[in-house]
Amino acid sequence: MNQMKPNTMLSINNLTVEVEGKTILHGLDLEIGKGEVHAIMGPNGSGKSTLSHTLSGRDGYQVTAGEALLDGEDLLSLETEERAHRGVFLAMQYPVELPGVNNMTFMRESLNAVRRARGEEELDAVSFIKLVRAKAAEVKLDPKLLKRDVNSGFSGGEKKRNEILQMALLEPRLAILDETDSGLDIDALRIVADGINALRSPDRSIILITHYQRLLDYIEPDFVHVLSEGRIVRSGDKQLALKLEEQGYGWITEEEEAA
Amino acid sequence: MITLDRQHSWFEQQLAAGRAQSLPQAPQWLQLAREDAIEAATQLPLHNRQHEAWRYTSIEGLLRASFTGDEQAHQQNQATIDDLLPPESDSHRVVLVNGQFNARLSTLADLPPGVRLESLRTALAADPDLLASWFGSIANHSESIFSALNTALINDGLFIHIDQDIELQQPIEVVYLNSGLNLSEDKQLMMHPRNLVVLQPGAKATLVERFVGAAPSRYFHNNLTEISLQQNAALKHYRIQDESRNAWHLSSISIEQQSHSDYRGVTLAFGGAWARTEYHLDFNNEHASCALHGLYLVGDKQLTDFHLTVKHRAADCRSREQFKGILYGGGRAVFDGHILVDKDAQRSDAQLSNHNLMLTRDAEVDTKPTLEIYADDVKCSHGTTIGQLDPQQLFYMRSRGIDETTARSMLCQGFAQEIIDQIDLQPLREQATERLVASLERVQPEIGR
Ligand SMILES: Nc1ncnc2c1ncn2[C@@H]1O[C@H](COP(=O)(O)OP(=O)(O)OP(=O)(O)O)[C@@H](O)[C@H]1O
Ligand SMILES: [Mg+2]
Repeated sequence: MNQMKPNTMLSINNLTVEVEGKTILHGLDLEIGKGEVHAIMGPNGSGKSTLSHTLSGRDGYQVTAGEALLDGEDLLSLETEERAHRGVFLAMQYPVELPGVNNMTFMRESLNAVRRARGEEELDAVSFIKLVRAKAAEVKLDPKLLKRDVNSGFSGGEKKRNEILQMALLEPRLAILDETDSGLDIDALRIVADGINALRSPDRSIILITHYQRLLDYIEPDFVHVLSEGRIVRSGDKQLALKLEEQGYGWITEEEEAA
Repeated sequence: MITLDRQHSWFEQQLAAGRAQSLPQAPQWLQLAREDAIEAATQLPLHNRQHEAWRYTSIEGLLRASFTGDEQAHQQNQATIDDLLPPESDSHRVVLVNGQFNARLSTLADLPPGVRLESLRTALAADPDLLASWFGSIANHSESIFSALNTALINDGLFIHIDQDIELQQPIEVVYLNSGLNLSEDKQLMMHPRNLVVLQPGAKATLVERFVGAAPSRYFHNNLTEISLQQNAALKHYRIQDESRNAWHLSSISIEQQSHSDYRGVTLAFGGAWARTEYHLDFNNEHASCALHGLYLVGDKQLTDFHLTVKHRAADCRSREQFKGILYGGGRAVFDGHILVDKDAQRSDAQLSNHNLMLTRDAEVDTKPTLEIYADDVKCSHGTTIGQLDPQQLFYMRSRGIDETTARSMLCQGFAQEIIDQIDLQPLREQATERLVASLERVQPEIGR
């Protein structure tokens, strides 16, 4: 199985995942090369968030078959935090509120944990504040939100920007963005897209989970996949997304059945 | 099983053991109060499950131990003292070592005019009449055998009296340094500090009480505090209970409030094997307010108990009590909050809440908030919750690289911080936070996943 191309960052083979006894991912295959942006689209409930949670190691997502390799190394046997240390970042569809935990403190703890794991020096409070202020300005996040509790009482759009801010701080190698575009107003979408584009680099890969072509107008994907009933049923380039936007998913299912 | 006989004989034994230490040459009114308390104690019902106030808190272990008030045992070695004494702070400091005022460690110079802060012994010698007019007027001497014992064995404590319209800028900090020394198993130290705090009309002050104990010593610290807030007086009252993990600790605080007075308390409980804190607060006149915020951290072999009774006896008063607990290991907590609103206490506004975070399955909490309302125009509510750490929150934090132990500790701190933040003395707030974080970090690996 381990015939990885030298350029591969993430290789998912036959990934089968159960949640509460129900199989959600049915042998999913996906190959993500370094520097590539992959968009994953697909109907509600098809398993997109399940995939992203499985890749981040959330409890309760039972892998019953298959594998996921990051740089050739077994990703699925690592603890959630170890995956983050290796550069996996998940911007969640529903970012979690942490009442009582200060946003700034949280981000510093997070960044320093990742830096320690990478063998880098921790940032002291002063340098961190400087850094986080600068990054917050880039994603146009109201600096007042840094002083509040993590995501607590944030609007939907503020939560999403807060996710992008964390991504910008942690500079992940593999960023998975689960519907980061939903709930954003038009200006915010642009800002978030700019933030993501700024991170694009030959050594960084991005998985964009989205329902809308709009985001892909700003962030041009190298590949587009359709996830349906726990499998990748169609892959193509950005033209595929345009076709989906026009025609929906029906034609794919019909072709599947015909085949 | 304890019996009434056992309760009586224990009381008699401790009385005999402590008597030699109790204050010599007490004025007659004090003698009478002592005799009354002893008499009343013999009439008290058994403090067991049938007794509402003792329903969830067994005194069996305490009744199995016997104590001494031995004078020599009160000697404390300097090394222990230096270890236990909290860092210097910008305050008027009073130190009681094993229940007795220690002049050398206390800093009572520079008290502004109109402020009396002295040991109970000094006050009794200097101005017995002033004390007589307040003493025992606020607390019920015989609420329990323990308050009776405190009264019967009065030895030392603290007297604070602030004249009309005086605002004391620096806080008063009382440090109770406790140690059982190396007494034998069957002879452990007991101390019964007795405090009286009077704020005359318009007076304002901040009172900090810290209880520290030399681990792993065993002793019984049984303090009783009476507080009177006259019209427009305002007291901020912070307590940090950090006794030895083997100690018995009982605090009984009685507060009476006159019109437009304001009481703000923050009470934190970390230590003790068996630790109970009672607040008895009475609004005796209109437009008074109180806010009491409490936090308890309870682990293996610990029982922490908070008992609150707030009585709205006059109209237009406002009370707020918010208590939070973090329990782990086989820790046990009891929260019993009772609000009473008299028939004439119209427009009373009362809120009571108790939230518990259970880190382990074996931890246990009994929470019992009750409202007893006889007036018809009131705004009263209570709420309690018992919950665990949220796996979604833990996952979110871990997905950002934070290890599980740190994540748990941060969430617990987040839960508790709201209470600590009510302390408006920055150094104390920071020390309290550090104290909390230190224990959280110690306990998190133990409880694992
Ligand atoms: N914890 C769970 N318990 C039971 N079922 C679950 C759980 N998590 C996910 N599922 C089910 O798995 C299926 C896939 O859900 P998932 O969230 O992965 O879909 P999705 O593709 O992200 O959908 P959407 O586009 O609506 O976000 C759904 O049918 C969902 O109900
Ligand atoms: Mg989803």
